[in-house]
Amino acid sequence: MDVISNFDQKKKNISLYKRRVILLIIPFLVMFLVFFLQILNLSVFNNSIYETASENNRIINIPIYSTRGLIRDENENLIVENIVHQKLIIVPEKTIDLATSLLELQDLLSISDKDILFFRRSLSKRTYKYEPITLVRNLSTEQIAKYSINKERWPSVRIEANLVRQALDGPLYSHIIGYMGQVDTDNISDSGDFKYKLDALIGKAGIEKFYENILRGSVGYKTVEADVHGVLVRQLSKVDPLKAPDLFLSIDKDLQSIARESMIGKSGAVIAMDPKSGFIKALVSFPDYDPVTFNQGQQESLKAIMKNKNSPLFNRAVSGKYPPASTIKPFLGLLGLNKSLIDWETSVEDNGIFQVKEDGRVFKGWKEGGHGEVNLTKAIIESSDVYFYNLALKLKINEISDFLKSIGFNSITGIDLDNEQTGTVPDQNWKLGQTGSSWYVGDTVNIGIGQGYLTATPIQLVVAASALANKGKAYKPKLVKRIGSNQVKKELLYTIETSKENWTKMEDALISVISSWNGTAHNIYELDSNRIAGKTGTAQTSSLQEEEEYSVIRAESSRRDHALFIGYGPIPDPSLAILVIVEYGESGSAVAAPIAKKLFDSYFTKKL
Amino acid sequence: MARLRPLEHTLNTRLGEVPYSKKLSSILVDIPLILSLIVTLVFGLFILYSASGQSDLMITRQGIYVIFGIIFMISIAQFQAKTYQDMATHLIWVAISLLVIVLIIPAEGYTTNRWIDLGFISFQPSEIVRLILPLSIASFLTRKRTRLLLKDWLIVILAIFVCSFLVIKQPDLGTSIIIITAGFLPVFLAGFPLFYLFSFFLIFFLMSPFLWGALKEYQKQRIITLFNPDADPLGAGWNISQSKTAIGSGGISGKGYLEGTQSQLDFIPESHSDFIFAVLGEEFGFIGILFLIILYAFIFYRCLKIALNSKSEFGRVLVGSLTFIFIIYVFINILMVVGIIPVVGVPLPLISQGGTAMLIHLLSFGFILSIKRSNYDIN
Repeated sequence: MDVISNFDQKKKNISLYKRRVILLIIPFLVMFLVFFLQILNLSVFNNSIYETASENNRIINIPIYSTRGLIRDENENLIVENIVHQKLIIVPEKTIDLATSLLELQDLLSISDKDILFFRRSLSKRTYKYEPITLVRNLSTEQIAKYSINKERWPSVRIEANLVRQALDGPLYSHIIGYMGQVDTDNISDSGDFKYKLDALIGKAGIEKFYENILRGSVGYKTVEADVHGVLVRQLSKVDPLKAPDLFLSIDKDLQSIARESMIGKSGAVIAMDPKSGFIKALVSFPDYDPVTFNQGQQESLKAIMKNKNSPLFNRAVSGKYPPASTIKPFLGLLGLNKSLIDWETSVEDNGIFQVKEDGRVFKGWKEGGHGEVNLTKAIIESSDVYFYNLALKLKINEISDFLKSIGFNSITGIDLDNEQTGTVPDQNWKLGQTGSSWYVGDTVNIGIGQGYLTATPIQLVVAASALANKGKAYKPKLVKRIGSNQVKKELLYTIETSKENWTKMEDALISVISSWNGTAHNIYELDSNRIAGKTGTAQTSSLQEEEEYSVIRAESSRRDHALFIGYGPIPDPSLAILVIVEYGESGSAVAAPIAKKLFDSYFTKKL
Repeated sequence: MARLRPLEHTLNTRLGEVPYSKKLSSILVDIPLILSLIVTLVFGLFILYSASGQSDLMITRQGIYVIFGIIFMISIAQFQAKTYQDMATHLIWVAISLLVIVLIIPAEGYTTNRWIDLGFISFQPSEIVRLILPLSIASFLTRKRTRLLLKDWLIVILAIFVCSFLVIKQPDLGTSIIIITAGFLPVFLAGFPLFYLFSFFLIFFLMSPFLWGALKEYQKQRIITLFNPDADPLGAGWNISQSKTAIGSGGISGKGYLEGTQSQLDFIPESHSDFIFAVLGEEFGFIGILFLIILYAFIFYRCLKIALNSKSEFGRVLVGSLTFIFIIYVFINILMVVGIIPVVGVPLPLISQGGTAMLIHLLSFGFILSIKRSNYDIN
C-alpha cells in the first residue's frame, strides 16, 4: 500500500515536473524569437547602416590645407608672405576634465573671454573626431614660457605652428591687398571640396578677399584609422592639396610709395594705371591701415582703427563716390561733337552767369566775371562752366546719361577688389525713384559741370582718363598681372567713338590745360616737358546758401571742395593714366594736379 | 571455484570486458554533451584571443581555467548523487558566510565588493552561491517523501532573499537577479504552488517603486538607457550602441577573424568579458552567431534530457535548475548585447573571460553528469 502510494506520488511528481519545465521553456522560446529577430534586424536588414556607423567610428578624414598663396609685385618681390606663429590647441575628447582645464589655462595664460567663447562655439562645429580646437591663436613668448613649464598638467593641450599673413611693407599696400579675419563658418558656404578649418583666417578685404578661392589652394585629405581613444593606428590614404599659386601684382612699388607719401595728412585716393592694358600701377586710398593689425589680431591697434572717424578701412579708390566735377567736361565735349550740337568753333559768351530760361534759376561759373567768348578748346583749358551749362542743356539729360553709362559710369569697372561701388548717373526715372520729384532743367545744367546728382568712383575716372589717353579704348582695370604662371590678359571695357580730328584737338586742349598760360593746371607746367595732358576738377561738397560768402564754406574743412585731377602722359604715346582726388582739398589745380605731376615725373624718369 | 583470481583479472572482468568506448562513456557519462562543451570552450578561446587584443597571457590563464574546469567537471561526474544529496542542504551556511565575508573584507583594488582574495587566488563568492543555492534548495525540498509544507517553502524563500540581499549590497544587480533566479528555479521545479507564486509576483510588482528607490543611481541609469540608447550615444548608451554597431556591421558572414574593426580598435567596451558576443557577431557574422546558438541549444537539449530522465526527485530538480540557470545566463547576456535588456554585468557562459564563472559553469555540468551517472547505478 505504502509502495503504491509512493509510486503514485512519484508519478504525480514527474508529471508536475514536466509541466513546470514546459512552463519555463515557453518564455525562453519567446525570448529566443525576439533575440533572433533582433539579430536579423542588425546583421541582415540594417547591415549597411551599421557598416557605415562602424566605418565612421574608425575612419577619420583629416583635411590637409596648402599654405596660402603669396602676393608679390611684378618683379617677384614679396608683398605678403606667411610667417610662423605659435598657437595653443586642445583636443576636447582627450581632456579628462574640460571645464577645469579651461579655467586653469585661462588663469595661467590670461586667455581672453573672447577666445573661450570661440572655443565653445567651435565645439559643436568640428568636422572630424578629435579635431583640435584653437585656444590661443598667437602665443606671446611669455605665454609659451608659462605653458611649457606647466604642460604636463594638460596632456591634451599642445603648441602648434601656425602660419600667419605678414604684409612686409606695413600699410603701403593696405587697400590693395586687404586683410584677413576669422572665418564665419555659419555664413561662409564652403564649396563642395573645400571646408575651412575652425580657426581659419579668410580674406576679408582687397586681393585677399577677391582671390580667396585661389589663394587658399585646395584641400587634401588624409584618411586614417584611429582607435576609440583617437590614437592613430595607421594611415589608409592621402591626397595632397594642390599648391596655392602666388599672385603677382602689376603695382609699381616706387609709384605706390610716392602716391602714398603725397597723401599723408590728406584723405582721398590716387590711382595710376597703364592705359594700354588696364593694369594698375599704383592705388592708394588714404587714410589706410596696417594689415598686420588684422592678420595677427592686435586688439589695441584694431580698436584704434575702428574708432578712427576718417574711416581708414574705407577703400575710397573703388568705393568712394564723388562728383566728377570739371573732369567730366572733356567727355561731354566729345558727346556734343558726336551729336553735331557743337563744333570746335561754336562759341558762347561767358560772363560768369548762366540763367535757365524756363525757371529763371541762376548758375554761376567758378570765375567771377566769366571767361569772355569761349569755344570748346578754351572751355576745356580754362574750364568754363557757362560753356558746359549751355552744352548740357542742348544735349538733354537722356543723351548725357546714356553716354555716361556707355563709358563705364553707373556700373562697376570690375577691378579685382571687393566692395566696388557704381556711383550714380541720374536721369528722370532715377530722380523720381530716389526723391519722388520730377527732373528740372537745372538738374541737367548741374550735370554739365559734373555736379548735382552725378557721382563717380575714382576707379571709373581713371579708366575714363585712360580712354582719353588711348583715344577711345578703355581697358578693364586689373591689379593681378599673373596668377602662378598664368598671365592675366587685358580686357577691353568700352570704346569712345569719335573722329580722329576730334581726338587730336581734344588732346591739344588737354595738353594746354597744363602748358598754356591760361590753363587751370598751368602751375605744374615745366618748360622742357610738354608731355602731360590732363583736366582739373573742383567738386563742391555743399552749395552756397543765400547771402553766404564762399569764404564761409572755405573756413569749414568739412564743407570745403574736393580737389580732382585726371591726366595721362607722356604724349604722344601715353603709358600712364592718373587720377588724384583729395577730399576737401579745395582746388584741383593747386592740390590734386601737383600730386599727379610727382607720379608722372617719377614714372617717366624711371622709364628713360 | 576457490581459485583466487589475480587482481589483474578482477580488473579485466570489471573493465576489460566492456569495449573501450563503453569504458570511456562510463567515465564521461554523456559524450555528446562533453564534446559540445569542449567545442564551445575552444571556440570561446578563439573569440577571446581576438577580443583581448590577441593577448597570449589572457588566453593562457583562461585556458588553464578551462582545463581545470573540465577536470573538476569529470571528477564530480564520477560521484553518485546519494554521496552528497543530504549534505548539500547545509551548504547554504557556506554560501551566506562567503557573502558576509566579501562585504566585511573585500579584496582591494576593485571598485565594488565582489571579490574575496585568498592571496594566491581571488574569486567572486556570488558565483559560487549560485551553484550552492540550487544544490542546497533541491536537497532541502526533496529530503522528505511527504508533501511539502508552507513552512518549508518559507524557509527556502527566506534563504534566497538573504543571499540576494547580500549580493545587492556588493553592489551587483546582474548577479543578484541570477541569485534570485538560481534560488527560485528549484522552488518552482519542486512544485511550489502556483497560487503562492502569483501572489508573490503581485507583491513584488506592488513593491517595485520601492525597489527602484533602493537601486543605485548607475543601476537606474542603465535601465533608463536601455529604453533610449541613442539619446546620449557617447554617454551611458555608448556600450549598447557600439555593440549593436559591431554585430550589425558583421553582416551575414562577418568581417573575418581578427579583422573586426569595432573589436580590434576598442570600440566595443568590455569586449573580452560582458560584450564578447559582439566580437563574435562582428568577426563571424550571423553565421557565427547561429553556430554558437546551435551549440548552446544542443547543450540545453542534452541537459534537459538528463533532467527528464532522472529517476530521483533531487536529480530532476537539481539538473533542471542548473540547466535553466545556464540558459538564463546565455539569454541575459545576449539580450543585453543586442540591446533588448539593460546592461547588467553578466558574462557569456563558457566564452567570456573570467575564471570563477568558468569553473562554476563546468562544476554545474559536473553535477548534471553526476545525476546521469546516478541513474545508471540505480539500474
